[in-house]
Amino acid sequence: MNHTDQGIGRRRLLAAGAALGAGALLPGRAPAQGGAKKYQGVTLNVSTFSAAYPKLLQQWLPEFEQLSGARVNFDAPSFPIYNQRADLELSTHGAAYDVVNVTFIYSSRWIGSGWLTPLDDYIRNPNLTPSDFDLQDFLPGALAPESGADGKLYGIPWTAEALLSVSSRFDLVQQAGLAYPETTDDLVKVLRAVNRKERVAGFVSDSHYGWTFVPYLHAFGGDVFRKAPDDLFPTLDTPEAVAAADYYANLLREFGPDGAITYQPDQVTQALKQGRVNFSDAGQLHLAQLGDPASSRTIGTLKFGQVPKGPAGRFPGTSVHGLGIPAGSKNKEAAWAFIQWALSKKTTARAVAAGYGSPARRSDIDSQAYRTRQVINGSDLARLALDSIEQASKSGHMKYRTVAVYPQVDQQLNKAIALIASGQAGAKQAMQQAQAQSIAELKRSGLSL
Amino acid sequence: MATLSWTAAGAGWQAQRSRAFAFGLAPSLAVLLVITLVPAAALLVGSLTPLSLTDPAATFRFDDPLVNYRHLLEDGRFLDSIGTQLKLSVASVALQLGVGLGLALLLDGRSRILQASRTAFLIPMVLPPIVVALIWKILYTPDISPMHRALEAIGLPVHSLIANADTALWAIAVADTWQWFPFTMLMVLAALQTLPADPVEAASLDGASRWQLFRYIVLPHIRPVLVVCGLFRLIDSFKAFPLIYVLTDGGPGTVTEVTNYYGFIQAFNFSYWGYGSAIAVVILAGVFLLSWGVGKLGWNSHEHPGH
Repeated sequence: MNHTDQGIGRRRLLAAGAALGAGALLPGRAPAQGGAKKYQGVTLNVSTFSAAYPKLLQQWLPEFEQLSGARVNFDAPSFPIYNQRADLELSTHGAAYDVVNVTFIYSSRWIGSGWLTPLDDYIRNPNLTPSDFDLQDFLPGALAPESGADGKLYGIPWTAEALLSVSSRFDLVQQAGLAYPETTDDLVKVLRAVNRKERVAGFVSDSHYGWTFVPYLHAFGGDVFRKAPDDLFPTLDTPEAVAAADYYANLLREFGPDGAITYQPDQVTQALKQGRVNFSDAGQLHLAQLGDPASSRTIGTLKFGQVPKGPAGRFPGTSVHGLGIPAGSKNKEAAWAFIQWALSKKTTARAVAAGYGSPARRSDIDSQAYRTRQVINGSDLARLALDSIEQASKSGHMKYRTVAVYPQVDQQLNKAIALIASGQAGAKQAMQQAQAQSIAELKRSGLSL
Repeated sequence: MATLSWTAAGAGWQAQRSRAFAFGLAPSLAVLLVITLVPAAALLVGSLTPLSLTDPAATFRFDDPLVNYRHLLEDGRFLDSIGTQLKLSVASVALQLGVGLGLALLLDGRSRILQASRTAFLIPMVLPPIVVALIWKILYTPDISPMHRALEAIGLPVHSLIANADTALWAIAVADTWQWFPFTMLMVLAALQTLPADPVEAASLDGASRWQLFRYIVLPHIRPVLVVCGLFRLIDSFKAFPLIYVLTDGGPGTVTEVTNYYGFIQAFNFSYWGYGSAIAVVILAGVFLLSWGVGKLGWNSHEHPGH
């Protein structure tokens, strides 16, 4: 009963907040001018993958609809489903979507193929974009992957995140008298000491190894391509790459929970929240959820760190996702109104206040609300992520990720690590196979290697 | 003369009748042509080009029409996928026929309990494939699986079946069997209800055992139905997708990557539509050949094997 009353109260409060704040939240003159609803009768189809920020936007949609007059269908399936669907839809220049997520791994492919709409003219037009939208407030490192070779901007980033390391049961590490692992050697030493203690498995990661394994590939001195984006000859069978693959697959084989190679991102997050697995590498978007006192059992024992250093150094993975407009959209102006509402300073600040963990605006990152929330059990997640993003922008080691043919190589890495970890092939054999198949796939794409 | 004019009149009448039939059939044939042959022809045409959706204008060309088929012969992953497909198809169809037949024989009766059981066993077949896949994903995920917990509780812990290269394909075959054995069960039950009582009764009076009754009377009667079920399920098994997509994503490695799934990856993950179409054409040809081969075996004859 009490719970119901609280629910009603919260809804009333939200409704009142919406009514009061809606005018202020809607950016400038864009959607509604002179009292008329500018996009009355327009239906916008928006699609992103399911994540914290899109979920907040879905909650706040009625405000945009009320002020702009547009009706919004917001679809947010899981990451792989979204990518396949969007890739197919964009490739046919279809008009099914008006706003899409510009997925990091596909950004170069989608932008380079002309499947997205340049946003520069919309941003420059004062009738469509108010000055307080402030494009310069977005991290330059987050805008770069959303830009094409033509220098134009094709997406506005909603997240700039880093792949970080986590120990959900750091108390077990401390009991063993060890510190947070800084290097790949330290990590193995720590895992040997804590593996299976209190029935907690040592290590697991998302089976998208084309994302989770690559920091280790770099740390061992290997790389995906000879020199992306100029020389895209794959380098998956070098001694460094083989050593990294052997090391990483062994983490999963020796310290992983049962069925480790089948874990999806949400399974990893749940396993960490429940304390079933101790160490992992995961995106900040997922790790921030471990700080939720309502669902995380490990909030009092966890610790975050950067991905470990290897013989060649430390190479954290970073990732940026943005909102863009498909080339085939028939409602581009309304779509832009939606994007600037969704990513206006006010909306992103509101998201941060609601607990959103990986904003792409400098003003949000520097805000006290954000910094306070990102300190979880004494670990400053925001600081770690910022350091990682800065490091990646200096070294340029993430350039491999946004080349148009990376999805093909990404899949070979997924297969190779699974082959080694499941004992079907040795590291050398699996990586040689990945190399040969990557070359075949890249040739099929028309690249001359 | 009279005969001649009668013949001519008859021929004219027959020609008119044929024309009327053709005229009546024309709309259906036209629809059939549009919805089946045109897409198949588009697939074939696409397979003769290196069409990639990242650059459709430059890649929709016919300068080397057999390029995809040549690449297929050298593509180890594709060749392996055919072996995987055959293993999965044979295992799952054999299991479905065995389980379906066994249950149909057990449930062939008129009591209310048997009727209720028959209805309950039909449930897996009417569930959407993605729901079936999710049910088995839960069952095969050790962390949350009641099956794994129960086995552990009785001292028989089993490691993840979908993460093990030796068991992953079998795990998919079992899930596929669970979904589709009711089809065989239903068909066999229908056939059993048309089994004449006299020969069974006569054989019983002559002292035939239950096995002999099944072997010499029941099985010959239901054999054509079993062949049809096998053929239907075999053709359908080539379309295996949701279970593999949800349970293993073709892994671990490529151990559950069937040809259909490999074609999907090429077409939808990498946008190589020409290459993906070539894979689809090969599957189409394979299914045709297989169906023809099964038909040629003569198993679908209604005659007694002795003839």
